[in-house]
Order: sequence, then structure tokens, then C-alpha cells
Amino acid sequence: MILEEHVDHVLIDRERVQTRVGELAAEISRDYAGVDDLLLVCVLKGAFMFLADLSRRLTIPHAIDFMAVSSYGASTESSGIVRIIMDLETSILDRHVLVVEDIIDSGRTLDYTTRNLSTRGPASLRICTLLDKKERRMIPIPVDYIGFEIPDEFVIGYGLDFVELYRNLPFIGVLKPEFYE
Amino acid sequence: MDIHPDIERVIVSQQVIQARINELAAQISADYAENGQLVVVGILKGAFIFLSDLTRRLTVPHRVDFMALSSYGQTATTSGAVRIIMDLRVNVEARHVLVVEDIVDTGYTLHYLLNVLRTRNPASLRSCVLLSKPDRRKVDIPIDYVGFEIPDVWVVGYGLDYAETHRTLPYIGMLKPEVYK
Repeated sequence: MILEEHVDHVLIDRERVQTRVGELAAEISRDYAGVDDLLLVCVLKGAFMFLADLSRRLTIPHAIDFMAVSSYGASTESSGIVRIIMDLETSILDRHVLVVEDIIDSGRTLDYTTRNLSTRGPASLRICTLLDKKERRMIPIPVDYIGFEIPDEFVIGYGLDFVELYRNLPFIGVLKPEFYE
Repeated sequence: MDIHPDIERVIVSQQVIQARINELAAQISADYAENGQLVVVGILKGAFIFLSDLTRRLTVPHRVDFMALSSYGQTATTSGAVRIIMDLRVNVEARHVLVVEDIVDTGYTLHYLLNVLRTRNPASLRSCVLLSKPDRRKVDIPIDYVGFEIPDVWVVGYGLDYAETHRTLPYIGMLKPEVYK
């Protein structure tokens, strides 16, 4: 494996990512057995790769929808309130919704997003994240499916970026500290 | 491999798709080896799986961005006029842009999209589509990278849906006519 110039080390290699995604897909398929209207909601951009791998391995019927959000700037950072750039195409009223995230950090944006989705009256609402930085959590959020708990490091790859680069790495890597310090 | 009961037959198998994406990624990586500032633009929703597999195999640095488009009509035939539901976050001026689409049918949408992006003065503008239905083409557009040419049948899977179902099948299947008639 060729390490890119910005990658300090590999935190989770491709095989471990793929194995864990398979396990999550099996668990979700079991939990939603008998549900025929599951909707996977992907918050762009970071989760697209995780979504692509996870959804292909689900053995239950499901649909996909996307949301894009943007922060208003530093002033609202502590509230997590974000602007919806692109809302869901589908109504989630009475549907089973699984939010698919790449990473949970402070949890503020996700908390706001899930409260927003709750107001729409879904039949159920759960969260699946590939990565969880537990020690950064500022708001307690019940997370139903977690790929990996990771330390508080700047991670890139598998959807996660550094200045929009490296989203395409097939593994989770740690950025060299000199690039963000 | 189990085939979904709504599927008449497999048009392109998972193995053949993955092998072809390796070839496309190698070709694209070679073609852009000397170019900096590549932006790969995925068109939602259909291209997200193709994009996630293609981008992982590119060996040239690049940014990933998304656009979402919507036709004004309700029919399954592609109309020429499309609405941009979500625009790019990245400014593509003076950057090399590669548009990634799941399928080209009449070509109207891609034609329109390329014209829109061209007005933003990219350094170059190319397109990569997984599937092309040459029999359906109404507009003569140059497509730089084509995965597969397919006959004019209703295909689902690998990003393509029928009424939001079957989008995440890992292969391209032909839908049974009784499903959509």
C-alpha cells in the first residue's frame, strides 16, 4: 500500500473496514427483517463511500436518500444548527429511517439533524456511523450502530477529507500533524 | 449469486463491473497524471456507487463533489430541461473536471450539464459514464470514458433504481417487464 504524502499512518486498513462494514450490514439486516420501507439517509459528503459499501450488503429492501447541510459559521457552532443545502427527496412520515454517517465528533450537528428528522414523524429513527470519536462528544446521542471507536486524531480517507482531498483512500488514515497544526 | 426475483437477467455481473472499473480508473489516472487540480463530480443519486468504487482506484489526487439534478417532468423518459437541486461546493474554475454519471440515455441531461459546467471556465471538462444506451441517443455528445454499452432495456442496480428500489444491487440487472408495466 502506497502511503500518500499527507498520511502519517494507517489507523484502520481496507480489510478491517470492509469486514466491519459487512458485520454492520448483517446486523442491520437482522434488526430490520420484515421492514419493507427502510430509508437510508446519507448526510453528504463524507458518508458516500460508507453508504455505497454498506447498502450493497444489506439483504433487506431499502431506499437511499441524501441530505446536504452547511454550517452558518462559527457563531452557531455550539448549537449545531446548520443550514439545509439539499433536503431529502422523499417524505419520511411513517417510514423507518437509518441515518448513515461517516464520523461523529461533538455530536452537535447530528443532534440537530436528527431532531429535525424527528419532527417529520418517522416510524423509527436510528443512527449508524462508521467512526465514533467518543471523547469529543459534547451532546449525548444514542448511536445504534458503530463501526469503530477511534481516538481524537485527524482522520482522512474512506469519505473523510483534508481540504477536500483524500476522500477516496480505501482506508482510514491519520493526517500528519504538520498539516493542521 | 442470488438474483432478486424482480430481475429478469443480469446484464453486467459484479465481477465484470469491478474489472471494468479497474480499467477505467487506470486509464483516467494515466490521462490525468500530468494534470493537477482534478475535481470528480458525481451526479446524484445514481452515480454514488460507481463514484465510490471508481474514485478509490484513482491514483491521481483529486477532489470529490456532487451535484443533484431533477427533471421537471414525471415520466421515465429524460427531458432536456433539468433543474439543479444542489450545486457544486467546489469552484471548478481553472480546474480539471470529470463528470461521473451512472447512465447516458438520450444524452439531453449530460449535454445540458456539460454546457452549464463549461460556462464556469474549467481547465478541462470530460465525462465518464458507466452505462451508455447508444440506441436511445438524441444528442451527439462526446463521452470520454464509457464502462459498457447496453441495449435499450430497463436496468436497475449499481446506483440505478426503479421507483427507488433495487438501487444498491451490486450488479446491473434487467427488470422484469411485469414489474414496471
